[in-house]
Amino acid sequence: MIEWIARGLRTGIVTTRYPKRSERASAGFRGRINVLQAEHGRAQLAEVCPTGAIRVADDGRVSLDRGRCILCGLCVAADPDRFAFAAEYETATRRRASLIAGEPETTTLEELRTTLGQRSRTLRRSIHIRHVDAGSDGGEEWEIQALSNPYYDMQRLGFFFTLSPRHADILLVTGAVTEPMRAPLLRTWETMPEPKAVVAAGTDACTGGLASLTDATAGGVDAVLPVDVYIPGSPPSPIALLHGLLLATGVLVYAAAA
Amino acid sequence: MRAERLQAVRDPGELLGPQLAAVVEDSPQDERRLRVQLGRLDRAVEALLSRGGRLAALFPVTVPDPSLLAAVAFQGELVVLRAPLEGAHEYPALSRATAAALLPERELHDRYGLVPTGHPDLEPIASPDPDSLTRRVVGEQSFVIPYGPIRSGVFESIQYVIETGGEDVLALQVRPFFKHRRLEQRFGGLGFDHAVQVAERVAAIAGVAHATAFCQAVERALAVEPTRRAQRWRVVHAELERIANHLDVAVKLAEDAALSVGVARFAILKEQIQRLRARLCGSRFGRGVVAPGGLAAAPLLEPETVLEALDQFERQLRRDRRLLLGTASFTDRLIGSGTLDRATIDDYAGVGPVARACGVAVDARFERPYGAYVRVGGRIATVDDGDAMGRLRVRFLEIGESLHIIRQAFERLDKYGPELRADLPAGSGAAFGWAEAPMGELLYWVEVEEGRIGTVRISSPSLRDWPLFAASFRGDVLTDFSFIEHSFGLTPAGADR
Repeated sequence: MIEWIARGLRTGIVTTRYPKRSERASAGFRGRINVLQAEHGRAQLAEVCPTGAIRVADDGRVSLDRGRCILCGLCVAADPDRFAFAAEYETATRRRASLIAGEPETTTLEELRTTLGQRSRTLRRSIHIRHVDAGSDGGEEWEIQALSNPYYDMQRLGFFFTLSPRHADILLVTGAVTEPMRAPLLRTWETMPEPKAVVAAGTDACTGGLASLTDATAGGVDAVLPVDVYIPGSPPSPIALLHGLLLATGVLVYAAAA
Repeated sequence: MRAERLQAVRDPGELLGPQLAAVVEDSPQDERRLRVQLGRLDRAVEALLSRGGRLAALFPVTVPDPSLLAAVAFQGELVVLRAPLEGAHEYPALSRATAAALLPERELHDRYGLVPTGHPDLEPIASPDPDSLTRRVVGEQSFVIPYGPIRSGVFESIQYVIETGGEDVLALQVRPFFKHRRLEQRFGGLGFDHAVQVAERVAAIAGVAHATAFCQAVERALAVEPTRRAQRWRVVHAELERIANHLDVAVKLAEDAALSVGVARFAILKEQIQRLRARLCGSRFGRGVVAPGGLAAAPLLEPETVLEALDQFERQLRRDRRLLLGTASFTDRLIGSGTLDRATIDDYAGVGPVARACGVAVDARFERPYGAYVRVGGRIATVDDGDAMGRLRVRFLEIGESLHIIRQAFERLDKYGPELRADLPAGSGAAFGWAEAPMGELLYWVEVEEGRIGTVRISSPSLRDWPLFAASFRGDVLTDFSFIEHSFGLTPAGADR
């Protein structure tokens, strides 16, 4: 056992300072897709996307729904002057509509990071999370499990996983909600005490992603439950998940005050 | 069962016996297709199994006409028995010849309305209801624990029906398909570039293997060889995926034993591999790399950078592995837990580390080498323990083997041309493609119709090995459960599809 302790000490601190400091993604990381040029799109552009995330309006204006985007990069390969990957982690949002790129942003990232940093400092109480897999591809689970590893260490921000929905503040749902998982998911949500927040983690949970066109799924969590925070990504990175969870604590503070 | 070599037998009459009257059909390399009558499929499969084959897939297909397909894996080739359905809804159950057909035949029955006559247990499985349980153990002293589909911790959804008298696990039923997304149907009508996105998302943690098996099926159906450079890079991504999966098992086992520093250390190692994968292709899961014909995009790192990172990784891993395997409070929980023997592996046609931990040398990379594995050498790592400890030891041996394979894959890389992707001709065809996923042998059947995907069927190692999890409880108690489960390292997403 003493050897393990020595090994642990020798490792040093590897933990991110996020959200106090921003965390930079490695070059080329597929965090999100930005629309560089929204004007004069051809109608065929929409067919490049396997999930129908790209829309071309009648006047040629191109928009990209990040809630549907699975980050496959086929649009970037087809039209690199118009679409580009951005190596960014913070992709979560409170409103489904604000996932649509090509429209002006309301808050700047720097502003958001400052408020998140303050919130994580002031929020001393602990937040308990119940995760439910409602039909994911398994990738989201790996990234959620990674939140406990020394790199991300979500406990330092007061987040804990709980086994019982009765102790849970946040319901973290992955997957497009398959038919057999609908009832267990609803039951978990009903069992949770108020105030509670629902976080849809991953593109499948946001809109169904590639699984949305089969009749085996509900096509996203918000078809079954009211969703408070959407974290797009296929799968969302651990920092993206932390960002979404911090947004959800805002929901909880607000709901408790109301 | 370790598949035997079949090459000496060329005449199908001799292969199956004269009374089975099989007709040889055209097939891609390493695949031998025989047409048999539906009523004789069971005897044909039995004849192949007696020659040392292993049932690898059983599903209905549509090309050239609606048929039931049974694929039997041999050393060096896949023998595919095709039995035209001709409107029939019944056939003699293969379960009488091999336990490997028990679960697939229940799925065939529920999803396609095919009745395997003589099947011992056709209890519905495809649309599970978590509240409706069938008990297997009779007696007042036993009770049932329905564990799942939502379980204690951050895990994928699956249900285990545990019957116990209090401590001993008397019977265990595995109930998959809570996550069934009908993804096989999702492929239909898609172009190649869209279809490979679906393959990557059948099981994210084996996404490279799924994409590779899918693409190789398309390439074999259209008789295209992916570029040599692409073949080498595919191997690198596939082996990184394997390393990440094996480390994930080590993390979960250390967690079960409450070995906190061990959890932290192996989670750090796994995260390092995931970050290396992200630097290499932009995705922590190797997505957007493999595409029909080769690679979708050029790698973002030079081979030297990858090799340096892996050298450093290996030095750390060596210390942590020595510590982990030297910690008695950890190994005591694994040794003798969830023990399987060769006979059970052979009976259920087990694959992957689960089979290799019982001394059964099954590995699609070396049995039927594909892509760069034809040129890159490696050993099939096996041990004879058969228990959870054996499965962990096999995984550690395989991480070493994977690093060795990656180094070899980079060796000749500069001798190949810069082309990443071969052109795919418009055309039609159907073929199997296979890859060794971290969980074991994965097979895709893909039908191509003029540049579009038709019917796709998947035989996933997770679904093939799950019955073995139930079979591995022999005097094991409830507190062994999570150790045994995590030592299998299977994924419900891959099994459920």
